This record gives sequence, structure tokens and C-alpha cells, in this order.
Amino acid sequence: MRLRFLTVWLALAVPTALSAQAPTPRDSALHALNRLAYGPRPGEVDSVARIGVMRWIERQLDFERLPDGRLAERERAFKLLDYDRAELAQRYGDALRERREMQRDMAQSGDTTRRRGVGGRPTREFRQLGGELQQLAVVRAAFSERQLREVMVDFWTNHFNVFIGKGADRFLTPSYIEETIRPNALGRFEDLLIATAKSPAMLFYLDNAQSVAPGASPPRNRPRAPRGLNENYARELLELHTLGVDGGYTQQDVIAVARIFTGWGIDRPQQGAGFAFHEWAHDRGDKQVFGVRFRNTGMDEGVRLLRLLAEQHATMHHVSRKLCARFVSDEPPDGCVDAAVEAWHHTNGDIRAVLRAIFTSPDFWAPQALRAKVKTPLEFVVSAVRATGAEPDSTLRLAQVVARLGQPLYLQPAPTGYPETQAQWVNSGALLGRMNAAVALAAGRLPGANVNLDDVLSSTGDHPALVDAVNARLLGGTMSAHTRAVIMAQLADVSDPAQARSLAVGLALGGPEFQRQ
Amino acid sequence: MTISRRVFVKSGGLALVSLGLDPLFLARAALASNRPSAQPPDRPVLVCLFQRGAVDGLNMIVPHGEPLYYRERPRIAIPSTDVVDLDGHFGLHPSLAPLKSLWDNKSLAAIHAVGSPDATRSHFDAQDYMESGTPGVKSTSDGWLNRYCRHDQEHADTAFRAVAFGPQLPRILAGTSPALAIDDLQAFGLRVPQAAARDKLTRAFEELYEGAATGLLASSSQEGFAAIEVLRRVNPAQYRPANGAAYPQGRFGRALLQIAQLIKADVGLEIAFADLGGWDTHVNQGSSDGQLAARLRELGLGLAAFNQDLGERMRSVVVLTMSEFGRTIAENGNSGTDHGHATAMLALGGPVNGGKVLGKWPGLDPASRFEGRDVAVTTDFRDLFAEALARHLGARDLQPVFPGFAADTARFPGAIRTG
Repeated sequence: MRLRFLTVWLALAVPTALSAQAPTPRDSALHALNRLAYGPRPGEVDSVARIGVMRWIERQLDFERLPDGRLAERERAFKLLDYDRAELAQRYGDALRERREMQRDMAQSGDTTRRRGVGGRPTREFRQLGGELQQLAVVRAAFSERQLREVMVDFWTNHFNVFIGKGADRFLTPSYIEETIRPNALGRFEDLLIATAKSPAMLFYLDNAQSVAPGASPPRNRPRAPRGLNENYARELLELHTLGVDGGYTQQDVIAVARIFTGWGIDRPQQGAGFAFHEWAHDRGDKQVFGVRFRNTGMDEGVRLLRLLAEQHATMHHVSRKLCARFVSDEPPDGCVDAAVEAWHHTNGDIRAVLRAIFTSPDFWAPQALRAKVKTPLEFVVSAVRATGAEPDSTLRLAQVVARLGQPLYLQPAPTGYPETQAQWVNSGALLGRMNAAVALAAGRLPGANVNLDDVLSSTGDHPALVDAVNARLLGGTMSAHTRAVIMAQLADVSDPAQARSLAVGLALGGPEFQRQ
Repeated sequence: MTISRRVFVKSGGLALVSLGLDPLFLARAALASNRPSAQPPDRPVLVCLFQRGAVDGLNMIVPHGEPLYYRERPRIAIPSTDVVDLDGHFGLHPSLAPLKSLWDNKSLAAIHAVGSPDATRSHFDAQDYMESGTPGVKSTSDGWLNRYCRHDQEHADTAFRAVAFGPQLPRILAGTSPALAIDDLQAFGLRVPQAAARDKLTRAFEELYEGAATGLLASSSQEGFAAIEVLRRVNPAQYRPANGAAYPQGRFGRALLQIAQLIKADVGLEIAFADLGGWDTHVNQGSSDGQLAARLRELGLGLAAFNQDLGERMRSVVVLTMSEFGRTIAENGNSGTDHGHATAMLALGGPVNGGKVLGKWPGLDPASRFEGRDVAVTTDFRDLFAEALARHLGARDLQPVFPGFAADTARFPGAIRTG
């Protein structure tokens, strides 16, 4: 398989190489680092160009063999990773009880001057854990050697979105990321789909845990169990997770799918326990989903349906198009989508094979794809941290910077997740926010990040040499003549070399070139 | 806006036409190039205030003429002696007494029994539906106020056309049309302590983006720098409310003050949004005093100060309050109320058909309740929102704003005067 793709790649690469605007190996390396990774670290464009960009891509796909010891060390600082779901549930329960007692006290004493939400130890500790989850995503994106895997974790987290602000998802989301998304991010789509369907976080977020066969009576020990069919998960499963909005299903299909998933629930969510199939809640009647009949086989019906959905052409097309929107351009050309769908067919949804097809498609390397995408706030912050060799400090404030720029992680309420397209991210307030963050980072004042520019650029009184170095080290050589002229003009009356360096870096990272990838 | 900027936007747009790029940007660039140099003084403004947590509509606009109200709420009902009577049947919670004069001069209306056709009692889902404007449909990715801005091309986009006051853009304004989230007007722009250094850096970034940015990066940065220029002229640090208006302390009062400031500055504000929490009163809700009374006091003082500060300018302003659902008719065992269905909303401003409680009142009779326990919804919230967009802002086509919903003037609750 790999040989075949390599042949295709070589065949395609030759005419490109002969054309006038052939990308240099450094251009290709920068492009791959912008899309498969969160941007280059200092010197990385050269090192990827040296080993060969296709070989680097293969290494990223084969991520298990990439050592990632530095990240493992950093992860140890995150207490969140020491707790399982039950422990998180208990801590959440403690925080909730404390809040209720506090409210009762406030109401009884008539004291309304105390600020809401300021709690004691349980509340503070639980909030800290939520902040850790966001910060962990930023730290992994910035420091993992397995960059493509982190990009794909972000992609799937968004594709199978849950909202951490909704009830039990406050303590169910960490295990969703660790146990559902991360192990399956570069595996088979079907496995990932089934894992999300069974995850307590998704069952709660899209209300499937509330969905009960019409007329089913709950066991006597659960008199307050919910009643009635809830279609939310069924609808989003078809519309967002698999077939896509034009995937050719009907409202009758949605109802049938909801009936199939009745009984897929959560075992005592307040104790943090996991997936449970509740026989009593399951609809035992026959169901038809786009012509396929499902007889009552209990939980197996749902698994069979998920497998069926995973192999539908509409699913392959919908998900492949989204992957191409992420990796190629906001409105991806048909060529790369078709290549991805074909690889999906051949490999039964092996995500690595699908990605490889995209990365070897001519559309991925086409001149119009280079720098065609605007970075999301997460990509902007993480790429700036990587470019300057910054280190997150011991607080959780770097994730708050990402949130302030418009992308609070795990806090998108809509099941669509955050859009891939630039219109979502580019507006005047957000751009000013990015300029401020860039200037602050360059001056060593960005909350949450420690930066030592000496590691990246030596400070010099030679302004042309400084701007050349900023272009080469931070912008991968993409600085326009105009940007260069503007930065030079700004440096004209700055005599202090450290000040000049910080100004040049701030303007470069806040300027238009660095917003693109 | 200086000539050179306008020329840049125009020529940038033309250059892109010839390259066949980015239709969305072209649409924005076209708007930008037609931008009027000065705003007409009386551009209509809609201010939306979201009471997050589900306000108890029955203790906000009290049906004190109904004996059932007192029977169902022995501990938390507002005694009739405390109610600020409006029409013999309904009255204001005493904390809202500052609004009584606005009722009397007919610039304040209440709409009762308004809510969502969706039965959910989840805060999360119901807020989501009220902000997306598509009850029952979860996958809508944008908010109805943003869709209004996108589809209503009558009004030019300016940086300040749609502004939410808070750290993040709320769902109701999320989408592809430009909208600003502002926590603090004074801090808008580049954060450099010394004014001279700030101006220099601002000019540097402005030049960078003018010369090297394309597509949305170009048009959005233009809007941002234009906004900074406008604010420099407005000088928010110097602002003093007019007519002796005193806003309540806190985030909500500050948001209202900043909205008033932007309206008076004539910077093209059309949609403003702010929210206030603390309405989820399950336990010890209180009656004439207590938890809910304190929240309503902040709301009432805020609205009264806003009205006073804007004075004459209120003739083109409508303030609309909203909340995801109401609360149970009967009080619960903790002297509070649980999640219900319909609630009450307020409309304030010169164009408001005030001095009335609007909407069809279903009564508290058990037979007419929703699921036997809650006030039934007789006005779909979209009919109220659609009326504000159509009759106040002059929206022509509501179909794209509320997809799947046929807005019908016959169902408008009549919150805005016609004629």
C-alpha cells in the first residue's frame, strides 16, 4: 500500500517540480508543519526539509514509534490525569453540595453581596481540574513530538463535540478525551464512532441517556427515570457524525435510529460509572433504517447500525470533506476528497490511510493551498508558543488566552463543534486580540507563558539582519517586502537591541503572514 | 474613515474580483466601500438582555388579581399590598418600582406567557434554542442576531454594528457576520500603557495589514482600526451619564452604561447584547425581599438609569429582556421554584407599545397549564423577536433569520407601535 502511494506521489511530484513556481523543500516542509503540526519550532523547517517532507509525514502517521518523553514529563504536572471518572464525579459532587449550602446560607441571611461562584476548597479544586483539561490540550499541542496525532485529537474532539458546561459533562469530559478520543484518533473510524456512542459524556450531552422506549415502565427502584423517546443523539449522529446533512435520511430514519439506541445509558452518573445498557428502556419492536431491517437484538442493534453508518458512502464523503477542509482549504477541491474516500473504501476506514491519501493528493500541495487557511485561536497561540520556544508557566493561563481569542476549549455548546472556516475566526475584535497577544508574548508579558528570545534570536543592533532572522526563524521565509519595510521603519528610532528584537517579533507574530497557515 | 482607507478597500475588492476569490469577503468589501461617512442620527437600536437561569415570570410581572397565584405560593407570593399595580390584574415586583413611571408614559410593556415551543427544561438546551432561534434543532451553528446582520443588507456593517458586552461572543451573536465582544470599551484596541507608544504601534499594525493582508484579514482589520479611531474620538474614559442617571454597581450596570455610551456616540451600533445571571431560584427565592428581589432590583435600577441617561435618544431604542424559560407555578418544598415553561419578557423604549401587558394570558387554572404544572406558552418567542426585527429595525426578510418558522404579523404580540 505504501509503495503504491509513493509511486503516485512521485508521478505527481515531477510535473510540479518542473513548473516555474515549484515549492522548494523548505516551502513544502513549512506547509506540512503548518497543517500536520501546530507550526514549526525554531529550525524545524530546515530539519524537516533535510530528512524529506514525505518521510517526516510517514513518521507522524506512524506516531507510536516517535519518542515523546518530554511531553510525558510535563503531563506529570497535571493532577487531572491521576483521577478516574468516579473520583472526578465525587469531587464534582462535593463542589455542588458546597455551592448549594452556600446559596442556602446566602438566601437565609439575605446576604446577596457575596459574589456568586466564589466557593471554598471543593469548588476551587474542581474548577482547577476543569482548567487543567483545557491547559493540557494546549501543552500537548505545543510540546508533543506526535504533532499529527494532537491535530487529529483536536479534529475529532470537535467532530464529536461535547460541551463541558452541561451538567455531568463537567466530570465526564476528561475521560472522554483520554479514553474515547485519544486512543482512536488515528485508528479506524468505526471504532471511534462506537466509542463515542458508548461514552457517558456523549450519552449525556446529546440526551440519549434520557431516551426511553415509549410506554416502557422503569424498574420499581427507579421511579424518577425519564420517559419517552429523545431524538437528539439520533439526529446528530446522522447529520453531524456520519452521513451529513444531505446524507439522504428522513425523519422516519431519525426516529428509527432513536428507537434502536433506547437503553444506551449511563450507570449511576453521579458515581461516575460508565456505559450501561438498560434492557427495560429498550424498544423491542422492529425498526427500519433506510430500508435495512433491525429486529430486536437488544444492544447489538445499535452496534450493527453504527457499523452500517460507518461504511456508507455519504459518511465517507462527509467526513473526508471535513478532513480536507481542515488540512487543505476551507472549501476543499473535489480531487483530495475523492482520494480520501477511495482510500477509506480500500481500507474500511483506516484513518491513517485516509490521511495519507490527502497528504499525497496534488490538491494538498497545490500553490493555491499554501497559506490558504487562517489559524484558529488555538493554532495561533500554540504556533506562536512553538515559534518563540516559549514555555507555559505553572498556571493555567495559556488556555485562557486561547479562550479570550474566541475558542474556549470544550466550551462550544453546539454539537457542530467549532467551524473549520475562517469566517468564524476573523473579525476585528479577534484580530486586535491576536495583535495584543503577539506583542505581549514578544515582550515576555503574555499571561501563562515564559519566553526567552535569546534561545531563538540573538539580539543585535543590525536591524536588517534582525528582520532577516525574524523572517527565517519565525515566519519560515514568508515575510512580504511590505511587512519587512514596515518593521524596518518601526525599528528606525529604537536603539536598544533587546527592545528592537521584541518589537520586530511582536509585529511579525501579530501581522498578517503569521495568521495564515 | 479617511479617503485612503476607503480607496484601499475598494481597490482591494476589485483586485480580488479579477482573481475570483472569496465571495464572502467580496460581500463584506462591497458593504465597506458603500459605507456612509457619517451615521444618520437616529439609527434604530435593539438592546437584548438575557436573564440566564430562567427568571420567575410570575414574581416579576405578578398576576396579583388571581387567587390561585396566592394559593400556589403561600411563602413566596408577592403580597398584594407590595405589588406595584399596573392594570388591576398584573403588577410589578416591588423591586421594579423604578420602572413604573416608564409604564405610565407608555414606553414599557410586558409580554406574558412567552416562551419556546420546545418542552425542554434544561437551561443549556433552552438557552441554546433561544439564542440559535431554532427551538428543537441543535445543529444550528449561528445565532439569530448574527443571521439578521448577515441577511439584512439595508444597514452597512461597521465595527460597532453588533456588540456583546462580556469576555466572549455569546451564541446569539455567533456566526459569519462581524460582531464584537467587548469587556471594557476603555481597553479596546492595542494594550500599551503610554498613549504615544500605543498610537505608534497601532499605526504600525494598520500599515502591516493594509499592505499585506488579503480577504477577510484585510476587511476585518480595517474595521478594527476604524473602531479604534472612533473610540479615540469618543474617549470612553471621560464618559459621564446624563440627567443624573446612576447605574447600579456591577457587570450589568457597567454593560448598560457602555451601551448607552456607544449609542450616543453614533458609531453605527444597531444590536447590543448583555446578560445577567442568578435567576435559577430553586431554594429560598424570597418574596418582596430576598434573592429574586435583589436580582430584580439590579435589573430595574439598570433599566431606569439607561432610560434616564439616554433621555430623548430612547425614541429610537428598544430594550428587550429574555430568559430561557419560566418557573413552576407552585412553590417547591425549599421555598423556591423549579424549572417551568412560559415566562415574561419586558420591552422598553420610545417605539414600544407600552403601558400594556401583552400576549394571551392563559391563566393559572390547572386545566390550562403546560403539563399540568407550568404557565403555558401562548407567544412563541420568535414572534416577539421577529416583531422587534421587522417593526423596529425594519428587517424585510425574516425567513433566513428564523429558518423553518413562518413569521406572521398576525401573531406578533404587538410590542412595537405601528404608525
